[in-house]
Amino acid sequence: MRKLHAALAVLGLVSVALVLSSCGSSSSGKEGGTLTGSYASFPDYLDPALSYSQEGWLAMYNTYLPLLTYKHADGAEGAEVVPALAESLPEISADRKTYKLTLRKGLEYSDGTPVKASDFASTVERVFKISSPGSPFYEGIVGAEEFAKTRTGGIPGIKTDDKTGEITIELTSPRGTFTNELAMLFVALVPPNTPAKNMTTDPIPATGPYEIVESEPGRGWSYERNPQWAKANGEAMPDLPDGHVDKIEISIVRNGATQVNEIERDKTDWMQTIVPADLFNKVKDKYEDTQFRVEHPINLYFFWMNTQQPPFDDLEVRQAVNYALDTAALERIYAGSLSAAHQILPEGVPGHEAFDLYPHDMAKAKAMLEEASPSDREITVWTNNESPSDDAGAYFSDVLGKLGFKAKLKVINGDNYYTVIGNAETPDLDTGFTAWIPDYPNPNGFFQPLLSGESIAPIYNSNFAKMDDPKLNAKVAKLSEEQLGAEQEDEYRALDREYMEKAPWAPFGTNTLSTFVSSEIDLDEVIFNPTMGQDLTSFQFK
Amino acid sequence: MEGRSPWYLAYRRLRRNRVALAFGALFVAIVVFVLAAPLWTDHVAHTGPNATHTTEKVEVDGEAREIVNLEGKPIEPLFLAAGGEFFLGADGRLGRDEMVRLMYGGRVSIFVGIAATLIATLLATVLGLIAGYYRGWPDAVISRTLDTIWAFPVTLLAIALGLSLAVGGLQIGPLDLSGSSLWIPILIIAFVYTPYMARPIRGAVLSLREREFVEAAVSQGAGPLRVMFSELLPNLLSTLIVFFTLGVANSMLLESTLSFLGVGVQAPNTSWGTMIGDGFELISTAPLLTVIPGTMILLTVLAINVIGDGLRDALDPKSKLRLEAHAGIPEPDGTAV
Repeated sequence: MRKLHAALAVLGLVSVALVLSSCGSSSSGKEGGTLTGSYASFPDYLDPALSYSQEGWLAMYNTYLPLLTYKHADGAEGAEVVPALAESLPEISADRKTYKLTLRKGLEYSDGTPVKASDFASTVERVFKISSPGSPFYEGIVGAEEFAKTRTGGIPGIKTDDKTGEITIELTSPRGTFTNELAMLFVALVPPNTPAKNMTTDPIPATGPYEIVESEPGRGWSYERNPQWAKANGEAMPDLPDGHVDKIEISIVRNGATQVNEIERDKTDWMQTIVPADLFNKVKDKYEDTQFRVEHPINLYFFWMNTQQPPFDDLEVRQAVNYALDTAALERIYAGSLSAAHQILPEGVPGHEAFDLYPHDMAKAKAMLEEASPSDREITVWTNNESPSDDAGAYFSDVLGKLGFKAKLKVINGDNYYTVIGNAETPDLDTGFTAWIPDYPNPNGFFQPLLSGESIAPIYNSNFAKMDDPKLNAKVAKLSEEQLGAEQEDEYRALDREYMEKAPWAPFGTNTLSTFVSSEIDLDEVIFNPTMGQDLTSFQFK
Repeated sequence: MEGRSPWYLAYRRLRRNRVALAFGALFVAIVVFVLAAPLWTDHVAHTGPNATHTTEKVEVDGEAREIVNLEGKPIEPLFLAAGGEFFLGADGRLGRDEMVRLMYGGRVSIFVGIAATLIATLLATVLGLIAGYYRGWPDAVISRTLDTIWAFPVTLLAIALGLSLAVGGLQIGPLDLSGSSLWIPILIIAFVYTPYMARPIRGAVLSLREREFVEAAVSQGAGPLRVMFSELLPNLLSTLIVFFTLGVANSMLLESTLSFLGVGVQAPNTSWGTMIGDGFELISTAPLLTVIPGTMILLTVLAINVIGDGLRDALDPKSKLRLEAHAGIPEPDGTAV
């Protein structure tokens, strides 16, 4: 009897131990299987040097690795730059112009070719040779501008040593965002013999846990595990995830309702596209926290006001417009997908601190405008024809009308909207809508291109408000040269308020995205990186 | 027997076509409905077609109800529950009065249809008269140019023109139209439909110019312009009236297609086509936003087509024979066929 008690006690202890061990495990789902996903349209490119879209970056986040990358994590943690092919973060010289990195040992491309330090130089050269939209990020490297013209002779500012793996990059002037720029997919290492042409249909060998094995523009593409990851790369980069599924198949399904329907029937495991507006709340109500989750990427939606011509050259008029704007109305216009905000730095960006200098007060706005008494009340409101930007523009136009302006709404095609409003020759650029998605989660990405006087350009202008305040310009210029740290974050925090006091914009919020998966996928495991989107290595079958 | 003019006989025949008359009455009712828009706006709805009410409330049976709820869904038709305000509900997330927009949108749709067809008919008549009367090289130039336009599918050509002109507008000499001008879709529709009218007009002119009355006019010293506009044109009038009527229906349909695709009528103007486009996004939660303007287009185009058919039957002798043989309608002098 005592033996039986002892045996039962041992059995009980073993059971408890097993339960406890399973609780401690990071995930309890299955390994392997084929993940199926759908995109509404094929990404711009499946070539890391060429793609300049969130869709393309998501597709290649786990195939082509730069020296640095973004941490595979949700929220603010996902904005952290971490080493990828490099052993560690760069060593930066005192004058902030020289960056030193060392390539990890024993790395191989998926075709078995060894990864060498000199591949970084050839990768950056390919970026210029192929006229990549990302090339401006690397023009600050010594000799890069000359190479962009001649495309021969290499870039003298990049020195590499294949034996030691050392990579030294010299910049013409300090650049506080260069660490972020080294984490962009444009400079993900590719074999030196990669042709300087679009390789979307002929996938380039990968360094990440997955490789693209088939790509058919307009129809879809598929991934398999990179054979070199298990042999060498995975061990060399232990901080990067291996991925759970063996294969990933992505197809193009242009109709959003069909995408939703296929997930509801478990025919597809995941849709990259946001759930269509008319189904958003239905899907949210039915599947939230089991198969559906609202995600918070980094972006900002705002109305700019041209600060260099009447009536918006008057600070009081711009402040009145900010008081008149009701972010609650815009939340409804965006059908619940907008997270209201009335400041420049959105949530998730280092330096963000929530505040609202202009809580909605129409009576105050009207009184301020009466006092300002602008002589020019005929204004043009610009927006694009993409839903719900068109409605947002119509709303803003109506608000300005209620304030006493004679507002004319100008809705133009979304494909060339920013080219049109970024051209100084375009007449009547008074005020308009902008959705801004920064290239990297660095506060500088909001101030330098959008609000610094230096950014005002005759074409491709991104400082739509034509904001040019010498004092604030100097602060932005100083911060743009410094690496981001606690001190800089404080300065950006203060800068956010200072700019909002000048009211060049009427910001109204950040737009959310969604993750919607089939009932077979473990939603809790799915990571949404704020820069790259859903992390395909995190998808796991239950 | 008292002689009666062909126009009087046509009027008699049309009057007997009860279906055409019924649809004529329907069209008149639709026109009165859209013309009454300012009255409805001022005295019933108390809001304009572009006024937004996103965060406002409307009182229904003593209860304040949101015009647009937090999830962006607009209020459903209230009919007379709020004194006529939001009679057909709100139009979407901006909370604009759907009934007011339907009335103002109808004005734009009908205006675009009529204006575009009027321009196309005028152009086609002039081109058809010149090509058919002069023949030779003027005919070759005009016919080949029209053939070139004809070679493009109407809708695709209109979409391509709409896309390019909606952005930059149209600047030709003194003509300077912004991309949002209502005249852009009007001119595009007129341009693409002109060949479809000009070719049959040219054919009719080719036939008419060989008739004795033309020879008589020429022998009396009438110049080409006088022959074309005093002799040929009056004989084309019945054809033109039928073309014009049926053309209005086609133009309205094309306008709706272009506006639905975002390359026709541009904001802040609205038409039934733009309303379908706006409502389409909410089709699963608020289908009436698409169904109501769609029904208005259907009824208007159907009415115009039936009127057009009635006019053709009344004005064209061949169709007269067909209609009368089928319906047993007596001849104007009272003798049954």
